[in-house]
Amino acid sequence: MTQYELDDSGVVVIVGSGAGGGTLAHELAKRGVEVVLLEAGKHLTADDFVNDEWGGYEMLSWLDKRTASGTWRAAKDHPFSPSWSCQVVGGTTTHWSACCYRFIEDELRAKTVYGDIAGASLIDWPITLEELNPYYDLAEAKMGVTRTNGLPGLPPNNNFKVMYAGAKALGLNVSTGRHAINSIPYDGRPATTQDGFTITGDKVGSRWSTLNVEIPRGLATGKLELRPRARVTFIEHDAAGKASAVVYVDADGVTHRQKARAVVLAGNCVETSRLLLHSKSARFPDGIANGWGHAGRHYLRHIIQTVWSIFDKPVYMHRGEIMGGMIDDFVRHDPARGYAGGYYIEMNSMGLPTTAAFLDPGWWGRDFVSVIEQYRNMAGIFMSGEDMPQPGNRVTLGEELDAFGVPVANIHYDDHPNDLKLRVHGYKTLSAIHAAAGAKRSIEAPSYPASHNLGSNRMAAKAEDGVLDGNGRAWEVPNLFIADGSTFSTGGACNPTLTIVALAIRQADFMAKQMAAGEL
Amino acid sequence: MTETPMPTAYKDPKLPPPVALPEGPDWVGVLKVFDAHVAETLVLAARTLYPHQGLPERVYRRTIVAFDGLASKLPAVAQGFAEFVDLVDDAMPVPFRELSESYRVNGLKAIEGTAAFRLVQRTTVRFLYDDIEVWQAFGYEGASVHLGGYVNRGFNDLDWLPEPPPGI
Repeated sequence: MTQYELDDSGVVVIVGSGAGGGTLAHELAKRGVEVVLLEAGKHLTADDFVNDEWGGYEMLSWLDKRTASGTWRAAKDHPFSPSWSCQVVGGTTTHWSACCYRFIEDELRAKTVYGDIAGASLIDWPITLEELNPYYDLAEAKMGVTRTNGLPGLPPNNNFKVMYAGAKALGLNVSTGRHAINSIPYDGRPATTQDGFTITGDKVGSRWSTLNVEIPRGLATGKLELRPRARVTFIEHDAAGKASAVVYVDADGVTHRQKARAVVLAGNCVETSRLLLHSKSARFPDGIANGWGHAGRHYLRHIIQTVWSIFDKPVYMHRGEIMGGMIDDFVRHDPARGYAGGYYIEMNSMGLPTTAAFLDPGWWGRDFVSVIEQYRNMAGIFMSGEDMPQPGNRVTLGEELDAFGVPVANIHYDDHPNDLKLRVHGYKTLSAIHAAAGAKRSIEAPSYPASHNLGSNRMAAKAEDGVLDGNGRAWEVPNLFIADGSTFSTGGACNPTLTIVALAIRQADFMAKQMAAGEL
Repeated sequence: MTETPMPTAYKDPKLPPPVALPEGPDWVGVLKVFDAHVAETLVLAARTLYPHQGLPERVYRRTIVAFDGLASKLPAVAQGFAEFVDLVDDAMPVPFRELSESYRVNGLKAIEGTAAFRLVQRTTVRFLYDDIEVWQAFGYEGASVHLGGYVNRGFNDLDWLPEPPPGI
């Protein structure tokens, strides 16, 4: 593997190897840019992964303590792990269930389309769908998204048959959806074996991830160096206010300083925000790139919730791909529904261990027992909807320090009235679909720890409205970029990974051109 | 409930098999931290929280063996389990282990807001429903990739609803 010196100030340093960082590393290396990719987690392979829900969770997750405050249910149910992401080479792409939907135009113009909503800090995205679409095309091709590029959709599984029956009875538009999971062999990766464990690392490799696609290809260019178990603690800048180095601690506890031509943070919302806020200096007393006070603010996590229903006969929902179902009737903003924004309905399944844990944390007794005993007759249906940005929903630094001397992050989130309206509408729809398929009983499960973490370092057309410009570059630090979901100006409704990948490809184009022009 | 037999459950071959316990009261001999009273109180608490009639005592015992493993590594967790036992024993004039079910349930409800209760309840869910014997009982098949997934083993065998059209 190519190795760069710590004092090589010609390299682009990327922090985090997930959907944003891993993709950007490959895309930059492909364009001849020298890249050092720092990842806090280990470099695991398919052999290391297990077909086991808790085993996979403990192997892949970012388990460091966080704290939570606000009215959101996660603060009560998961007070020390309110948000969820991975700490491993490949980041959260080692876990995701691979739903790939595009933002629609209205969502990129949320402020204009939804109008003034009390308490919400909506803005329009600084980029249009027309600008983004060519990058969506590239992302779908590299990820092998079903129902694009001639690839067939995933075949219906048992859980989908339930969703289909209910949706058809209600006249809804239902399909198995679009996923970065191979329905047929594609790009050197096999077709899914329907093993049902895509979220514990995917031993088969039928799902796209940066671990199995982007990073190996980036390494093959000879321009990329990957450093696993490199825990970044601080971003330094020079006298001119440009990012100059990244401080990190290696697996042996030794601290290093990697010089940089440009720095890209891609550590998922909480860690990227934490690094910005922690990297204080005389020039940036509130954290680097935080002169306008937006770093860590407007945190979004989508309106995510699941309805689990019991039927008379077996479903075996754990068999097959987890989220192979989608209904798009409620995606478009429609003021007649009484709330702003929209939501996707998707399929969801879990094994017995996590169904029991997330059905309703805190629930015990004979009623719970009567439900969970019918596990094999259970089906799951899920939604991902747009939540409203609010300036007070934010990542901040607490008093307590972690093992690396960096303050533990607190995540504050209050539900906005629009969020609650959308939640109620969604629960009713999800339960109605299962009822129409013959459900005996439906359980409205609350959100589990947020995995669609978005918006906390947002892009904005004006410096006073966000942390980043439309290329994901810090308004105040011209060689500091962000390449994760925290850049989203607003959340939209769809699962974010496809958009993170599309934005990373676009960002690679921008950075490479800037470098070629001698401006970066 | 249907009459069809439950399919076989599998743990990932890389993971250890369930701990083997003696059937009688000697099972507490495997514990590192808990004494017999603490262990048996926790077993009964787990059973009161999640009273599955059909599950044998050994699955609840294995759950408490997992508690003991945590307690041996994390002193704060050991302290939480000890507090829980004190709380439920002090709730009535007789120890928790000797209470009838309704008194046990009421005693647990009375301490639902405590950190000790939360620890015991969440940890019970974490380990009880991760036990392969429980998977087998409720129809969760577990690990599949070593068997070729479900692509030829029933991922689409549901036959009591209309078949979706090809390419849906």
